[in-house]
Amino acid sequence: MATQALATDERGLIQAAIVRMRARIMAVVFGLLGGVSVFAATAWLLLRGGQQVGKHLKLLNNYFPGYDVTWTGAFLGFFYGALVGAALGFTLAWVYNRVAESRDPA
Amino acid sequence: MTECVVIGAGPAGLTAAYELAKLGRHSTVFEADDVVGGISRTVNYKGYRFDIGGHRFFTKVEMVDELWHEILLDDFLVRPRLSRIYYDGKFFDYPLKPMNALLGLGPIEAVRIGTSYVLSQLFPHKEERTFDQWVSNRFGKRLFEIFFKTYTEKVWGMPCEEMSADFAAQRIKNLDLVKAVTTALLGNWARRGEVITTLIEQFHYPRYGPGQMWESCVKRLADKGVETIMETRVEALLHENGRVRAARVSGPGGTREVEADHFLSSMPVRSLLHCMEPAPPPEILAAADQLRYRDFLTVGLIVDQAETFPDNWIYIHSPDVKLGRIQNFKNWSPEMVPDPSKTALGLEYFVNEGDELWSASDEDLIELGKRECDLLGLAPSDKVIDGTVIRIPKAYPVYDDTYQEALAEIRGWLEGLPNLQLMGRNGQHRYNNQDHSMVTAVYAARNIAAGATEYDVWDVNVEDEYHEEQREDATAASGDRLVPGHVAEEDLLELVRGAFARYDAVALGSALGVVTALGLFLATAALLAQGGPNVGANLMLLANYLPGFAVDWTGAVIGSAEAGVVGFGFGWLLAKLINGVIILEERNLLGQIEGRALDLFEGED
Repeated sequence: MATQALATDERGLIQAAIVRMRARIMAVVFGLLGGVSVFAATAWLLLRGGQQVGKHLKLLNNYFPGYDVTWTGAFLGFFYGALVGAALGFTLAWVYNRVAESRDPA
Repeated sequence: MTECVVIGAGPAGLTAAYELAKLGRHSTVFEADDVVGGISRTVNYKGYRFDIGGHRFFTKVEMVDELWHEILLDDFLVRPRLSRIYYDGKFFDYPLKPMNALLGLGPIEAVRIGTSYVLSQLFPHKEERTFDQWVSNRFGKRLFEIFFKTYTEKVWGMPCEEMSADFAAQRIKNLDLVKAVTTALLGNWARRGEVITTLIEQFHYPRYGPGQMWESCVKRLADKGVETIMETRVEALLHENGRVRAARVSGPGGTREVEADHFLSSMPVRSLLHCMEPAPPPEILAAADQLRYRDFLTVGLIVDQAETFPDNWIYIHSPDVKLGRIQNFKNWSPEMVPDPSKTALGLEYFVNEGDELWSASDEDLIELGKRECDLLGLAPSDKVIDGTVIRIPKAYPVYDDTYQEALAEIRGWLEGLPNLQLMGRNGQHRYNNQDHSMVTAVYAARNIAAGATEYDVWDVNVEDEYHEEQREDATAASGDRLVPGHVAEEDLLELVRGAFARYDAVALGSALGVVTALGLFLATAALLAQGGPNVGANLMLLANYLPGFAVDWTGAVIGSAEAGVVGFGFGWLLAKLINGVIILEERNLLGQIEGRALDLFEGED
């Protein structure tokens, strides 16, 4: 059995490796996260109940037309949250990869 | 006696003869038809020229490009390309451009497409055995139904559910909805320096159509003493002792046997097997009979109008007409029509030999063509002054569920006849483009010259690559098979590198910076666009952390810049922290490797 340890150049190669993000996966993950977050936040307030349910969360309808702190709104919020999350995730990965590649073309 | 018999004077047959001549080898070409070029021929009807299917001279195989220019010299035109899809009364750019398609289809359809795409990504077909599964997994079911299903079924005459996924993989693999959207939104910058020519806007075309290339080739062959014998069918290939000895040919001069050392066939595999004497074993003939073909007819219409539509060709996706595709040959080359005040249209119908359309009279087909052209608004029927019908049997080899197995059996049997090589689209039962057919011919000719099988003629065009796409960074010859190899030492090193890859702190910082800045700007802009009293009172609270931020345009710019800096810092710190953990993990593992003297890169004792 050969018993060589890692050569210095191999160790160097390993340490020089830079992560690349997969934009599609990031979009799906962020999308799901965004959708679930808005849905969960809305549902939590609805379940807690009270007099002025979701006074602040309701402000999201400035960006998500039709959104409200209701069960219908929760589902609509899931859709919007997923959409925004996916766009964020995709953009994040895309910009990251472009910058990383420009700095490390290998 | 000739050194080599070449069966068929299409692109493969003539290229093989040409290459053989260049290599100092003599051959004789036999063509059953009275026109050269195979399905790359140009039919001349009263001076109007009709291309069979429209052949762009575009290749990423340098060798083929050189051959084209060697044969035709500079008689090429550079033509602008415009091709569209006709669906539901509207025209859509082809290749598909997402914004154009979404705008054309309207918002409701766009939502349906988007939803079905997301669903296809979350819950893809686990098995990709059929065409519809393959396409739906990549584009979503709705887009498949609109832009793939109808046309594909028209072309192939069978449901997509029965069509092998191989075909989709070979023709459209590199088209990807996410890539396409990115390209539409970000242009070539999204492509990291690659120049992808899927959307090529111009192409080369022989002045008098593709047939000119092959007519010119025949002349060049004649100059080199190579005969192309027309209207002469190869009726039998006589073989004995593991070699093909002679071809029995039949033509105007009668029937005779032509002996040769080598035989190159571009005739349909099924016909070839039935030509063999003695006949192959029954199971091989049965396999040959399993190979199916799709046939094709063009209704050529001459229209008394200088202009009809601006496209080179239009794909007709509407299910309410039988027409599959329409060509405007004048837009391919102005020389295709003898009178500039007229237009020559080619209406393409995909048929099966013997079916209703195939068997219809020319008059009925011309009437059908006029009617459908009128219905689609492409040319008024009363302006059509003449027409002709061109029938092309076995235009397309069909990739069904059984062809691969059948072809493998046939190839196995043919290996027993080493001086017979198969080439070209029908010769190999492969849906090759012209350039790939030519490559198989060049390989076959070079094998003869080398006296050994140095080139695998079957190793062309199986790379699962979309044929319209060309990357400048492509290094492999088109058609080189991508073969999965064993995991090599370098691959293992790559795996370890991947496992311990660091985040680029500047890149993550930049990415988060951009996303944060953009997010805040858009959030502010959305409120400003809505307007109203006390606009953005809550968002304004961010000014506690971002001095200078306000819900106005100046504040948005200042706040975005600050948010970008904060985002950058956060991303940078995040990357450093993650990298710290990775480094600890890596040290731990590498320490174990060295401590135990475990040779990771040898892999075994």
